Amino acid sequence: MSKEAHLCDEEMLQAADGELSTHRAAQVRVHLAECWGCRTRMAEIERTIADFTRAHRQTLDPRLPPIAGARAHLRAQLAELASKPESRSGQWLFQFLLPLRAAAFIGIAFIVAVVAGNLLIEHSRLSGTKSGVIAAERGAEPDPRLTPGATRRVTLNDVCSMAHEEVVGQVSTPLRQEVFREYGILNVRGGDYEVDYLIAPGLGGVEDIRNLWPEPSTSRTWNAYVKDALEERLHEMVCAGTLDISTAQRDISSDWIAAYRKYFNTDRPLPLHSRLERPRHRQFPVSVVVANAVAECCSLTGSP
Amino acid sequence: MPPAESMDGQPFPSIADSSRSSQPSAIEQEVMELFEQLRTPLLRYTLSFDMPLHDAEEVVQETFLSLFRHLQGGKSRSNLRGWIFRVAHNLALKQRYANQRSQAKTVSDWAVAEEQFDPSPDPEEQLSSAQRRHRLLAVVRALPEADQGCLRLRAEGLRYREIATVLGMSLGAVSLSLTRSLARLIRADGR
Repeated sequence: MSKEAHLCDEEMLQAADGELSTHRAAQVRVHLAECWGCRTRMAEIERTIADFTRAHRQTLDPRLPPIAGARAHLRAQLAELASKPESRSGQWLFQFLLPLRAAAFIGIAFIVAVVAGNLLIEHSRLSGTKSGVIAAERGAEPDPRLTPGATRRVTLNDVCSMAHEEVVGQVSTPLRQEVFREYGILNVRGGDYEVDYLIAPGLGGVEDIRNLWPEPSTSRTWNAYVKDALEERLHEMVCAGTLDISTAQRDISSDWIAAYRKYFNTDRPLPLHSRLERPRHRQFPVSVVVANAVAECCSLTGSP
Repeated sequence: MPPAESMDGQPFPSIADSSRSSQPSAIEQEVMELFEQLRTPLLRYTLSFDMPLHDAEEVVQETFLSLFRHLQGGKSRSNLRGWIFRVAHNLALKQRYANQRSQAKTVSDWAVAEEQFDPSPDPEEQLSSAQRRHRLLAVVRALPEADQGCLRLRAEGLRYREIATVLGMSLGAVSLSLTRSLARLIRADGR
């Protein structure tokens, strides 16, 4: 048997997982029947999958509570949700609240209106009133004349192998102040704004005033956390090879909210994305891009 | 304090006695059926993000509420299982970030559970199988996050196409990731 006729691990795994085409699967079966070496390897692969699956379940299953409580809880929540007349403004509000509390809202359009009003008032109060007050949604997108976005030439290796600190990026204090001045924001109070990259460093964005803008942290819908989630998503996709980096840069810089809607396939921020706690421990799957390096695959070319 | 309470300033009407005369809709039934099928795999997957059970359960509940809205909005039903896991994945990531930030837990529940539990009745078998499981899981935890995700989703019975949807990877990348991880597990096991 010649070397190139053997099966590679990837093909054997795909065969074990039923991921090969019928034709290919038949070829693999024929080869396995003839080749002791590949059969042994195949058995090893199948055993390891089974062992990991068992270990995974045995470790976690004892922790799982019976389904009954969760089932009843979900049924009640669905019943409430179903009885609620659909209202667009109510829907996004519902999204960011915890399920139990959200359930209390259902059907109470009046309260929805009050809360929405209060959101704006609270935000105005937090933002300070001396300079132009940026209302909850108005500041969510940067001024394209001031912040068109700026990038440097990068390779996928550059962005996908970045250390965590580089990906997140910190903006120096003088530059932050310059950004606030540019946007006419005076009397900034801690926590009101995050001077954020329009195009994140993890997507090739640079620390340049054209790429920085004061993003309101207190907005409850399209806020800095939601944008973080988008950046993470795009970075993952870029490093996984499913999205072109220039497309990612263009989409996030032209209208990041539209980009969020597009890449999360939703017209509202997902509930846990818009929370008012800013996660700083971002982790990017640095490894995904390296996948290409491990393509040590031989093929079935020699098989009948 | 949660925003809803502080802003309105008055208690919300109680909905505890939410007795409805109407029957559950077809969509509600569909969601409940999917919940029966997927709750356990989804909860296991969510727990593997190193979060307390309470948070994981909340992520699962929120996922099925999102599913209800998704179906109610007449959105696509194709690859629904992939869609469900993806929503849970994103919610779990956010929850984990929030937990890391609050530094609520220093030792993961998952690691603790691993220390404590062994189902095998025979002490000798128990020792060897527990050691082996430890070793396997330790190897997995040392893998890059995307590789861990692929393996765990695979262990929950997802097809490659579904895994690709959840993790935003290509089919080829999923296949390579699983191959690479398995080779590493096999090597570690052989030592």
